[in-house]
Amino acid sequence: METFLQQLINGLTIGGFYAVVALGYTMVYGVLKLINFAHGDMFMWGTLAGWGLLTTVLAGLTDLDLAAILAAAVLVMAFIGVMGMTIERVAYRPLRSAGRLSPIISALGAAFVLQSVARNVSDARWRTYPPGLLKELPNLRLTGSVSVSGLQVLMLLVCVAIMVGLYLFVQRTRIGTAMRAVSLDHNVSRLMGINVDRIISLVFMIGPALGGLAGLLIGIYYGSFNFTLGWVFGLKAFIAAILGGIGNIPGAVLGGFILGISETMVVAYGPNVGLADASAWKDAIAYVLLIAILIARPTGLLGETVAEKV
Amino acid sequence: MKRLVVMTVLLALLLGPFGLIAGAQEGEPIRIGLQGPMTGDYAYEGQGFEKAVRLLVDKVNEEGGLLGRPVELVVEDDAGDPTQSALVADRLIDAGVIAVIGAYNSTATEPASEIYNEEGILHITPSSTATRLTEKGFERFFRVCFLDDRQALFAVLAMRDVLGAERIGILHDNSTYAAGLAEWTRTYAEEYGLEVAFYDAINPDDQDFTPILTNIGQADLDVVYFTGYHAQGGLLLRQTADLGLDIQWMMGNASNNPEMVEIAGVEAAAGTFITTEPLPQDLEYPEAVEFVEMFTEAYGEPPASVWWLLAAEAFNVIAHAIEETESTDPGVLAEYLHEDFKDYPGLSGPIIGFDEKGDRLGTIHALYQIDEEGVIAYYPEQPQPQSEE
Repeated sequence: METFLQQLINGLTIGGFYAVVALGYTMVYGVLKLINFAHGDMFMWGTLAGWGLLTTVLAGLTDLDLAAILAAAVLVMAFIGVMGMTIERVAYRPLRSAGRLSPIISALGAAFVLQSVARNVSDARWRTYPPGLLKELPNLRLTGSVSVSGLQVLMLLVCVAIMVGLYLFVQRTRIGTAMRAVSLDHNVSRLMGINVDRIISLVFMIGPALGGLAGLLIGIYYGSFNFTLGWVFGLKAFIAAILGGIGNIPGAVLGGFILGISETMVVAYGPNVGLADASAWKDAIAYVLLIAILIARPTGLLGETVAEKV
Repeated sequence: MKRLVVMTVLLALLLGPFGLIAGAQEGEPIRIGLQGPMTGDYAYEGQGFEKAVRLLVDKVNEEGGLLGRPVELVVEDDAGDPTQSALVADRLIDAGVIAVIGAYNSTATEPASEIYNEEGILHITPSSTATRLTEKGFERFFRVCFLDDRQALFAVLAMRDVLGAERIGILHDNSTYAAGLAEWTRTYAEEYGLEVAFYDAINPDDQDFTPILTNIGQADLDVVYFTGYHAQGGLLLRQTADLGLDIQWMMGNASNNPEMVEIAGVEAAAGTFITTEPLPQDLEYPEAVEFVEMFTEAYGEPPASVWWLLAAEAFNVIAHAIEETESTDPGVLAEYLHEDFKDYPGLSGPIIGFDEKGDRLGTIHALYQIDEEGVIAYYPEQPQPQSEE
């Protein structure tokens, strides 16, 4: 039971990161029916930008307390948000009427550009965040040997706050309503007086800004990264978005958590069912499960039941 | 692949008159290739290869070259990737090299060695220790490092005799090199009376290893031997500390890198054992001391990794063979290395010679421990070598 709790916490943490990144895929797909392959790399750029800020500018000014980290978060979100809007303007908008294949190729191109630049900026090395960030957070001992680090709890809380905040924003505000309208039909939205281009720009600012924030959190949490981070996490998050029903915000969150927890549980309980080297088989088993779920529900877990798409 | 080979042969025929024949003339440079990861996860090592070898090439050229001809170093980046490695091998052959030093990791060395073998190029790897690389009967393939099985035996003896362990765990990352070392360690551990109570692999693309670490924490092991690379080694150490687990780690030689301590954080890394070839500055042979001094003078810091020194070693072996045989024919050089190359004063200690497979004879592994300051320090107690059957 204790092990189960510990593994559940491990899985929730991994899943939380998948979920936040998945939000970016699902929002863009909602309004444009475009799979924004550059999203994973924008997320990695959040890690990279956070590293740059915390090891140079902010390291000189402060002793890296909570205020410095909040400042880094704001700057990273602004930077990645602008990056997202720029990519939409340069690489996607001119291709909006060019069918479905060209924008996807353009998105892959943007992903490779981002990754190559990051590779050169980071010298292709593993880069480490300054040690001891947020280390003053206490470790929580739940029962017996189960321990949750304060950092884990904080990450999970931030991830949940982002998801809930985004959901409320889309469901309860005027701009959110406009986003939902755009996701249903561009032309009709325009007739209703909605500035479709501006809404799309906004989606391309919010999604990447949240992704960038997740990137910064990953950097603080794991302490090190390299430029391939976006590809691996991006792929997993993309799968999480599909699993939950792409275009659907609660679906992306659900997909992220299911993916993180199922990966973890394969490793945790594989040995109990006779698979001694379960970790080596983790991805294979987790993805067979996902294929099975998709066969049973081709539009994803929440793909049909919720009408509103963003 | 077949088409690539055919194209290469055609290209070689076309370029032959310009490349090969011109290459034989007086004063034409002797071209030696260096392939390694200049980018990617192992870029640090590849760039160190180039620094170390370039230093010796410059020195040889200042002293008049080899056989009166200058030496030209041709460097290619394989990014540690097997696909790119095959392309790089073709490019080096097009450049007209007689010998190649590289690659860094076994996964990248394997496809390249097939191509060099077909083309009859002399190929020496400074650092790829997967056993099966020399099991293919390639007559012109050598290595100046030591095999995985030597290190596995050393690690088992260190765990049993120095740490007094009885129940051990083994963790690898499914790469050619790490899986090979892990498998040999399991074999020797069972032979020498240790219980292997945990054996699994991680996926090196992952960032989070807490699930498997939780399993390891439950398994009640005396020591866990991780055979993978330093980036994942660092993450494992850091997350072990984050989870509050008490695991005694021992790492293989691919984790022998100060960057691992940086990734893990000093506190989390302290106390970890490492089995490896000795660090460059711990070598007491005069040739080693001289090389480390020369390197420090040129680049402002000593070579950080033993693999850089072994890349330089590989170049010295090639240069020595060229001078002794007065030939640049890879076949002649390879035959010399197999038959007559004995007791050469190498940078990493005397090279007794190469066996018929091309493997270096002897062993030089040592036990290190990361101390409280995060320095990878020579451990005062070393396991006594066992006589091998």
